[in-house]
Amino acid sequence: MAQNQQQRFFEIIRPGTNYEFIGKQKYWIGLSIFLVTLTIAMLPINAFVLKKSRGHMLNWGVDFRGGSEILIEFSKPVESGDVRKTLAEAGFPDADVVKYTDPTGQHKYNYMVRVGAVSVVSEAQAKQIQQSLAREGDASLKRFEWSEGGDKIYLRYDKPVDPAALANSLKAMGVNTNQVQSFGRPDENTYEVTLVGLDTEIRRALDTRLGPGSVSAIPSVESVGAKAGKQLQYDGARSLLYAILLIMVYIAFRFDFRYGPGTVVALLHDAIIVIGAFAVTYKEFSLTTVAAVLTIIGYSMNDTVVVFDRIRENAARLRDRRFDRVVNQSINETLSRTILTSATVFFVTLAMNIFGVGVIRDFAFAMNVGVIVGTYSSIFIASPILIWLNDKYVASQRKQQAAGRQPRRPKQGDLEPEEV
Amino acid sequence: MERSWWWKAALYGFVTVLAVLYLIPTVVPDAKQPSFIKAHFQKKIQKGLDLQGGLHLVYEVNVDKAVASKVDRLSSDIEDRLRKDKGVNDLTVNREGRDDIILVFKNPAEAAKLDDSILREYRKSLDLVDRNTTTGAVKLRLDQDQVEQVRDYALRQGIETLRNRVDKFGVAEPTIIKKGTDIIVELPGLKTEDFEHIKSVIGRTAQLEFKIVDDGSEYMRKVAASVPKDSGIDVVPESWTEKDSGKQHEDVYLRAKSRATLQKYFAGLTGELAVPGDHEIGYEEMQARSETGEATPDKYWRTSYLHRRAALTGEYLSNADQTWDQQTGRPEIAYELDHQGAAISERLTGDNIGRKMAIILDDTVKSAPVIEGRIGSRGRITLGGFGDPFQLQNEAKDLVGVLRSGALPAPLRKTFETQVGPTLGRDAVDQAKFSMYIGAAAVILFMLIYYRLAGVIANIAMILNLLFMVAILAAFEASLTLPGIAGLVLTIGMAVDANIIIYERIREELRMGKSVRTAVDAGFSRAFWTVFDAHVTNFVAGVVLYSYGSGPIRGFAVTLLVGIVTNLFTSYWLSHWMFDALVGRRGSARATLSI
Repeated sequence: MAQNQQQRFFEIIRPGTNYEFIGKQKYWIGLSIFLVTLTIAMLPINAFVLKKSRGHMLNWGVDFRGGSEILIEFSKPVESGDVRKTLAEAGFPDADVVKYTDPTGQHKYNYMVRVGAVSVVSEAQAKQIQQSLAREGDASLKRFEWSEGGDKIYLRYDKPVDPAALANSLKAMGVNTNQVQSFGRPDENTYEVTLVGLDTEIRRALDTRLGPGSVSAIPSVESVGAKAGKQLQYDGARSLLYAILLIMVYIAFRFDFRYGPGTVVALLHDAIIVIGAFAVTYKEFSLTTVAAVLTIIGYSMNDTVVVFDRIRENAARLRDRRFDRVVNQSINETLSRTILTSATVFFVTLAMNIFGVGVIRDFAFAMNVGVIVGTYSSIFIASPILIWLNDKYVASQRKQQAAGRQPRRPKQGDLEPEEV
Repeated sequence: MERSWWWKAALYGFVTVLAVLYLIPTVVPDAKQPSFIKAHFQKKIQKGLDLQGGLHLVYEVNVDKAVASKVDRLSSDIEDRLRKDKGVNDLTVNREGRDDIILVFKNPAEAAKLDDSILREYRKSLDLVDRNTTTGAVKLRLDQDQVEQVRDYALRQGIETLRNRVDKFGVAEPTIIKKGTDIIVELPGLKTEDFEHIKSVIGRTAQLEFKIVDDGSEYMRKVAASVPKDSGIDVVPESWTEKDSGKQHEDVYLRAKSRATLQKYFAGLTGELAVPGDHEIGYEEMQARSETGEATPDKYWRTSYLHRRAALTGEYLSNADQTWDQQTGRPEIAYELDHQGAAISERLTGDNIGRKMAIILDDTVKSAPVIEGRIGSRGRITLGGFGDPFQLQNEAKDLVGVLRSGALPAPLRKTFETQVGPTLGRDAVDQAKFSMYIGAAAVILFMLIYYRLAGVIANIAMILNLLFMVAILAAFEASLTLPGIAGLVLTIGMAVDANIIIYERIREELRMGKSVRTAVDAGFSRAFWTVFDAHVTNFVAGVVLYSYGSGPIRGFAVTLLVGIVTNLFTSYWLSHWMFDALVGRRGSARATLSI
């Protein structure tokens, strides 16, 4: 073997560096507990204390909350107050109107409008319609069917009615329809009313009030029925659970039981703090955010696995050392990798956060927070839990030994030195 | 170099060339592509809905409404039977909840009249739950298998209806898929102006109607005489003879290449020529036939002059099947009507023998068979035209589908809607691309400064990873969504991770005084499981994302998953191979390594 001349590398962490992580874990765990508590406290604070300005635990996107989100592009400057007023008059008193900054700067007068409704008819209006349509010509209404958020109404009369006349009666009370057609058998005298879309109605209302042509375009509409929103919330929570379960199974398979709880607690810690960041900043929490949290779970695991791999390797090599020293050394050995990888991912997501638009931006924000806590949690959450469990394990082994029983054979592959 | 190195070189070279070939259709404009690319590699990455603009709609089939309608129909059918055939006069029939029918006989003794002779007819659909001869109340319940059948039927019908309607708009690449009991419709690349119109049309409940055709009327002759020569509309006289009576018919209809031409023409007619209030024009798409009666690939639209009122609708149908004519052996359609339908049909067909009856689904005439006799509860439709029996059979099957679907209108309820204008996506892509370049540049620069020559290898691996990823996405014709781009950018950030793990390991080995060659080999082999575990954990999260997410999120999951697989390949094996070239053979290996 050629005698090496000591090579020099560009290093941010010098070899042999030995920062004390484990000894100071108290402070770091304290910080984590503070952040997690802050998150948990922030949710009800948002919902109850800041009722006026916030009002929900998280700023749920329409996909979870149910309702509609409409981006409106005006051809001239308008006041958000006017928009809000117009919408209230058009039957959307809960409208949330926010100035929307177009990142390209081409369209200046954009507003993002959020309303709780998904259809143009509210429950009160439906009742009103039912009353006014009780008689149509000489026919009387036998059945009125409309479900909350529905874009259709079913009317059953005792005699045939002209669909066009029905459409006119509806229009007279300010309900615009796309179409009225007979439904089912002719002798059932049932009519299906398809209501006009929410965005069309809003555009019409704004154009009427602010002058024709004030709305130059509606670049995007998203609307989710309340039931679908509930389903998405449920799916989101379930997927987080599945991800954590699957990863636990993988860890149990690749490492051993002592390594499992630490990783899972670290994952939960990361997920909670990322959600906390959304609670504090009150940024929109949408399907994309859940996707980001899932990605962060993957990333955080990745990071923990790298540290744990080294711990396992060193533990097998340095059996005479105290386990917490081994962990501390392993963290130091992997520290430069940890910092480098986190840095590349962080910078890339930061670029997305600064230059991206809409969904990408929210995603990148979540990732930025996630990368930091994900890296931190491997060192300050997952590792101390591993040490604690190992100590318990060793203590119980000693106890068994003292009681004269055979100690459990160390698991294969766990404490065996690796081949070189 | 060792021989195995050259083998690997050939393999990696081949894979890279293949990736580049797959990428060309996506990157290079059509006109500039070489002809062999056009012939063999047409697949390219599709733009997701959020990038090219369009509509994403999720409909839920309102099964409860369909089931309730079915129960309503069964109950009025039974009421009818009891009153007419059994002479029960004082009787109330009501639907309770969704599935139950409650019959109350004023005279409790009459409750026994709902006997097996009636119940047997409905044994497939109704179960007798309770019969109380002291109060005269009878409770029937819709069989639960029927509920399942209705659900299944309604869903299939919903998809079929949506597909037909979407086809009418000529949207380039529509997606209509079933997810659970929901139907997801994706219509990319629409103009914003069309959104409302399309939404209003595709959300309607489909209607199947039967209407009497009046093509031989005076009105049609007048219209035919007024059609200008250069309007693209042909006037076609149609004379035919009734099979049994030998009666002659002299009909006339109009035809044109497109439905719109005909519709526009009729909409423009005024005064005497305007369509009378009790009539309307139906449109049917026909296969053009050559003089010998062979079908040609050309299609055209023809008119039918129809009675506005639908005498019979699809809800009266209870069954339809494709069968064979006993005498001629040609395919035909046998259908059955329910009790009330049979009564209507008997009257209607009796009054209109020798005329045509148009079968209309969703405002389009599907077929217009001639009524050849009085039809009660069972009827047959023979198909006109000649040509090969196989094609006729297919036509018959299509018509059966139409008839069956008409039997049960299940309303669609919109539960989710996203519409994106075309410009929004374009701006977003530009921004996302920009952030991707910035991110990639930062990573490349960073790796170069930190690892020097080894950094070059990591950068090549990262760029190749990007190339393979995009090529695989192109080969699968995956659609790239905004979150998908985020996935690509994220992969750039994570791609170098494996290289960092390996390089740090190699540095450690070098510090321990090992030779360059040994250090590189040890670094790679020791880091393998770490790198592998790190990839698997990300992969698991990706799989969960994929199965959970819908639409754009799925696009993200796909890019993430593909990226993880290609990354393991480029950052481990491909990098290792590049190192082999750099370090050289054992013995002649270099003494220092720029890492």
